[in-house]
Amino acid sequence: MKKRLFIAILLLTMLLPACSGKKTETNADAGSAKGDGAGTGAGTTVTAWAWDPNFNIRALELAEEAYKGEIAVNLEIVENAQSDIVQRLNTALSSGTPKGLPNIVLIEDYRAQSFLKSYPDAFYPLTGHIDADDFANYKIEATSHDGEVYGLPFDTGVTGLYVRVDYLEAAGLTVGDMTNVTWQEYIAIGKQVKEATGKQMLSLNPNDFNFVRMMVQSAGQWYFEEDGSTPNLEHNEALKEIFRVYKAMLDADIVKLNSDWSQFVAAFNSGDVATVPTGNWITPSVKAEASQAGQWRVVSLPRLQTEGGLNVSNLGGSSWYVLNQDGKEAAAAFLADTFGSNVDFYNTLLADVGAIGTYKPGIAGDAFDQSDDFFGGQKIYSDFTSWMADIPAVNYGIHTYAIDDILKVEMQKYLKGEDLDTVMASAQAQAEMQLR
Amino acid sequence: MENSLKKHRVGWFYIMIPVLAIALFYFYPMLDALLLSFRSGMGMNLEFVGLLNWKRLLSDPNFITALSNTLTYLVIQVPVMLVLAMLMSVLLNKESLKFRGLFRTAIFLPAVTSLVAYSVVFKYMFSPDGIINRFLMDLSLTDAPIFFLSDPFWSKVVIILAITWRWTGYNMIFYLSSLQNIDKSVYEAARVDGANAIQQFFKITMPMLKPIILFTTITSTIGTLQLFDEILNITDGGPGNATLSISKYIYDLSFKYTPDFGYAATVSYVIVIIVIILSAIQFKLAGEKE
Repeated sequence: MKKRLFIAILLLTMLLPACSGKKTETNADAGSAKGDGAGTGAGTTVTAWAWDPNFNIRALELAEEAYKGEIAVNLEIVENAQSDIVQRLNTALSSGTPKGLPNIVLIEDYRAQSFLKSYPDAFYPLTGHIDADDFANYKIEATSHDGEVYGLPFDTGVTGLYVRVDYLEAAGLTVGDMTNVTWQEYIAIGKQVKEATGKQMLSLNPNDFNFVRMMVQSAGQWYFEEDGSTPNLEHNEALKEIFRVYKAMLDADIVKLNSDWSQFVAAFNSGDVATVPTGNWITPSVKAEASQAGQWRVVSLPRLQTEGGLNVSNLGGSSWYVLNQDGKEAAAAFLADTFGSNVDFYNTLLADVGAIGTYKPGIAGDAFDQSDDFFGGQKIYSDFTSWMADIPAVNYGIHTYAIDDILKVEMQKYLKGEDLDTVMASAQAQAEMQLR
Repeated sequence: MENSLKKHRVGWFYIMIPVLAIALFYFYPMLDALLLSFRSGMGMNLEFVGLLNWKRLLSDPNFITALSNTLTYLVIQVPVMLVLAMLMSVLLNKESLKFRGLFRTAIFLPAVTSLVAYSVVFKYMFSPDGIINRFLMDLSLTDAPIFFLSDPFWSKVVIILAITWRWTGYNMIFYLSSLQNIDKSVYEAARVDGANAIQQFFKITMPMLKPIILFTTITSTIGTLQLFDEILNITDGGPGNATLSISKYIYDLSFKYTPDFGYAATVSYVIVIIVIILSAIQFKLAGEKE
């Protein structure tokens, strides 16, 4: 009897995950069935992969509505997690066949060069379809290879410093005191805020180098020389300064550590931190906590005290790529007619999804001049677009994430007390040996 | 002779099907991966580099850390887990124990949960404001939350706890089933001779379980060497590379960084070599003659 009960419970528990597995499967089926249903009309079927239903997938849907090109296009949008897209592209392209891959795919700018160099001829150049001068300079740098533009730049990762006015006021400070500051000044203010409110200044994940990448670009530098492949770590003054700032922030005890994205978001939604220095794409997450309306402002990012240190930078952002297979002309035409030239579309994009594009004529519309009550009536979008123009263009190269992982280890050593020049030399040596 | 070949022709035909399938789907990829391990390059642009990948391996600090982390998990976790599993199975085999079925189910249940799901639960349990930290602080064992997942030492501890929780019940089932196959008369005879419980365990139970102990040791060793899901979901290899395992490093080389499938294949062959060596040692120690 007992045995039978045991087996029954066992079977039940094994069935439960099986059921949930089935459920997601039918969801996926339903999704593609819907796509098929929409694709019954005449025209070329164009598949597109993206990862965020509230952001880039929504943007594709809006683009489909806005599309008025000559070639009839049936757009089929498939949602995949970003890491799944990267994996699928790598497996399919390395097997030498684009079978099963979409026509349009969204790729993060940091990874773009890696794909373009690893799989030559796998992507279809868009040089003839768009005018590269119409887009933010730094985006074209990231999406080009061998003189051809392969990516149609999508969103910008222009950065800002989100600050809590109430916490600043509690410390006797104003938003003006936080504007155009250096990181050293930022740390000094952080100490004051902590003393007055007991709140930490920012939340960081030691295993996520977003913060470092954002700061290094603000000085017009990257992990590599301009060629995108020679590691530039040992003598990279900007990078060294970032390490010093990072340590100083931890020593000043103004950092709330997190270990994943949801904890990072929770840190500012719960009011535990006074500022969030990051890309503008965090705006919807900040606004998600409606009870904090009116308390937030956005000022320019603090700058590094090194040569060329600016108060603007970029963090993340992605672009659309067309795969070199049947349907590429239709896919390119679709992108060129919407993301590549439609000014009104960019206004809709901002009003509907809050996405700031990188198409210069498109970011001057009325929607960008609106004030936002959540940010105390500040015109945050026009601020962001004005900063965007100054973002230094850098070559992200092909090994960004590999260098990230090398630096993470060296950062831990440095925080434990090793000499800065030693850890940087060690990082340089590893990078030179491992990456070629 | 010729006659017997003819007689067995049908038998040979039947056996050829699985042999061909295994050759095609196991041995061919293994051989191909071995050839791949002598090539290197980005994505599609692979070229033959001879032993360069193997040289790179020896001077790759990331690989060495991954290897030493994996061996740390192996050396600490496998013995702890197997001893626990053995202990529990002996306890749960006691006829006098009430609700045996319930306890067995409870201990075996972790083994049927999804690897990713339980990893995420562990991650949240050990987060700075997770249940473990709140528990420790409520008991005044610590003043400030312990940053389990941001500390090189504690993050390893969390990984070991997680895999022990997940796999102990699984191994327990093997012990339990073979315990039930031991003839009760052996124990009765021992009791008549005046052997106490501890003597019975070491002189009867352990020797009788020897083949199963060997089996669980080998499967657990291989399982730990292939540790991946927990690392990716709980710590993502961090902080730094303090919890990086070999399998996670192979994943990074293939999918996170600019893909170098050749070097990734080299690293994966290291696991093969280690598994072969460790299995050989375990067979030797267990004294299997065949």
